[in-house]
Amino acid sequence: MTWADLGGGALRAALPLAIWGIVASAYAARERDGRALVSARWSALAVFALVVVASLSMVGALLTHDFGIRYVALNNALETPAYFSAISLWAALEGSILLWTTVLAGAVAFVAWRGTRALPRLATTAAAILFAMLSFFLLLVVTPAADPFTRIDPAPLNGRGPNPLLQDHWLMGLHPPLLYLGYVLFAIPFAYALASLILGEGGDRWIVATRRSALVAWALLGVGIVAGAWWSYAVLGWGGYWAWDPVENAAIMPWLVATAYLHSVMVEEKRRMLRTWNVALVVGAFALTILGTFLTRSGVVNSVHSFTQSAIGPLLLGYLTAILAFSVGLLLWRAPRLADRGPIGAPLSREAVFLFQNVLFVAATLTVLLGTLYPLAVEAVSGAQLSIGSPYFDRVEVPIALALLFLMGVGPQLPWHGASRATLERQFAGPVVVAAAGAIAALATGLRGAAPVLGYALAAFVVATVVQEVLRGVRARRALHAEAATVAFANLFRRSGRRYGGYVVHVGIALIALAVVTSQAQVTQVEATLAPGGSLEIGGRTLVFERLRDVVEPRRTQVVADLRLVDGGSGSPLTAALTYYPNATGAIGSPGIRSSAGEDVYAILAAYDARSRAWATFQVKVIPLVSWLWIGGLVVGIGALIAGLPPSRRRDAVVAPSTVPASSPAGAQ
Amino acid sequence: VSPRVLVIAGALATALAVTVAALPRAEAPQDRVERIAAELRCPVCQGLSVADSPSDTAREMRALVEQRVAEGRSDDETRDEFRRAYGDWILLAPPLVDPRGAVWLLPLAAVIAGALFVAARLGRAPPATPPSADQLRVLRERALADEAIE
Repeated sequence: MTWADLGGGALRAALPLAIWGIVASAYAARERDGRALVSARWSALAVFALVVVASLSMVGALLTHDFGIRYVALNNALETPAYFSAISLWAALEGSILLWTTVLAGAVAFVAWRGTRALPRLATTAAAILFAMLSFFLLLVVTPAADPFTRIDPAPLNGRGPNPLLQDHWLMGLHPPLLYLGYVLFAIPFAYALASLILGEGGDRWIVATRRSALVAWALLGVGIVAGAWWSYAVLGWGGYWAWDPVENAAIMPWLVATAYLHSVMVEEKRRMLRTWNVALVVGAFALTILGTFLTRSGVVNSVHSFTQSAIGPLLLGYLTAILAFSVGLLLWRAPRLADRGPIGAPLSREAVFLFQNVLFVAATLTVLLGTLYPLAVEAVSGAQLSIGSPYFDRVEVPIALALLFLMGVGPQLPWHGASRATLERQFAGPVVVAAAGAIAALATGLRGAAPVLGYALAAFVVATVVQEVLRGVRARRALHAEAATVAFANLFRRSGRRYGGYVVHVGIALIALAVVTSQAQVTQVEATLAPGGSLEIGGRTLVFERLRDVVEPRRTQVVADLRLVDGGSGSPLTAALTYYPNATGAIGSPGIRSSAGEDVYAILAAYDARSRAWATFQVKVIPLVSWLWIGGLVVGIGALIAGLPPSRRRDAVVAPSTVPASSPAGAQ
Repeated sequence: VSPRVLVIAGALATALAVTVAALPRAEAPQDRVERIAAELRCPVCQGLSVADSPSDTAREMRALVEQRVAEGRSDDETRDEFRRAYGDWILLAPPLVDPRGAVWLLPLAAVIAGALFVAARLGRAPPATPPSADQLRVLRERALADEAIE
């Protein structure tokens, strides 16, 4: 039996089981039939097992270079190292859809087994919806639209090898699966929301039940985006990390909407409001994951991430349309049960800040969508070609981002329902002073322009509000539970993880903001053509060009420039290279990067003497604070982890009430 | 010092610092080159600007921008030169004053419309009625089943 028989057979067996799953779970939910539920559970598990077998067969085929499979022949070669062979599972369209299907099958199994235990009827209905989505993807992978196991006969002796961009850096093993996990896991809150509408529930049970999946999906997508930015920085060799490329836009849109969602559900949980809005947000976030896949996988827009065109475009568009029509229809049908009563809250209340934050996140998303689609629309209408790139997105998104940073500091400091003037003054005296210090520090380091300096002020403001909250929380715990400061600090995160984990996320975002502002505003750049032995000066350092050498490997050839970065003392070696793959026309830049907490030295080999290796042209950049972008991403991930972990159940001992401070600080509420 | 004084002083100092940072300043020729190059699309790249791209084409285009800046041409003259050669496509953002400038106005309209929509719904919430026994039970169960929602 070949890998193709095994994998293709598993997928073909999975499809009818998934369709049976729709029927069984719909029947189980409607008739409250326990046997049907058991049947649905086992089909979910069987489908998941079969799809895992199919994915592993593909990995096996890639590792053993089974060129009888078209996908392997196109995305693998005998010279491809094992690591890059294995991760070629997501190197092109068919494999990516297979991975997507696998994650979705896992989500279905999770809901069918775990979800139905807590909320049998709601989760079973959600499982039916998820089974339907899974059937669609299984249909894609067993038909020519995206069949990963299509054969070619006779099998070629060697394959074409993976896309060069995908076999150049280990981060490729991390960035795409994180994004896919994030994308697909949004299906869980989406399915629960629709199930809640179908059952006519007016409440927020679906939100509580899917809180953790939404948070996990959001965090994986966010960390995946940062990992992608890091990959772009380390591989694409242009010294940047975000280009407003259509695929980047496709990833950031659902993340933005999901961020709005994670905050607005707190209003529903706390105040029983915004029910329609929250369903709309979760539908929007999920639809945007499909839209992004459609845009980038159908060849409609060009991007570094585009795969070959295929018949999958119209199918995905049909799927997206069906999902939107179904969701909007349900929402309109059930809207009367979801209506809010009465005003939302005072203008200076936490719920008001959440709402304005939602407006900004949705506007930011619409801007990205508009900028991505506008050139297509103009070309379709008038035939004129135009570009929408960084200058547009930066100019529109930076003010929105600054406003969001401001609200990020303000929101958690305001009480629900409304705040008195005295509360406002008490909450903001410290942070506003720190913001001023941040702005002055930015000026002192030579930063100019309103947006960067305001960015520093607001990042400082956010961090100050978090520090203030944590200090108050520690003080409250010490008074209430007679804990030592360190114990109280740890317990804040263990007992109130959702709240303090959220603060950690805010600090991560503030770090990212600082890194972006500084690395954009204060880049030093030098370009020079040097002969071996020559040197250039940049930012108080000397970069010596020692020599060029040719490195020939079976799968690629490289022209490597040996450099020495002298920063006092004898200096340290650094290499910048251009890499040529046989299946690509252009060279892939492998910049030399020397990272430190303060700044990165980023050396690009831009051109060289092809004949005698007698000279080379370098672009060298000194980019301050850029590594804090990756650290910020990690902090966001850690914060989400703290917020998502189940809180410790143990009751705290409360000491005598006489030691409780008269005015209870905000952190102890 | 009272909290009120701190808030006012801090806000004023921040506003002052941002104003100082925003003061118009003479732009060095190199900065002008970078700014213009950042608005031009690198024709051989995937969505990168001339300023960002390390490609040969982009380096030649940047050299031309540098030359035009040195000759004392205005930003518009330089941009128009590229526009004539490559079409509107070469600019990474459409001009503000342009039939296609709607792309600039729509996000602003979305923010204003959304903010007005929210503002119209704000107001002092009615005083909370004491929760019913049933609601209390639900709340208690939820608190036990999960962490306390602040």
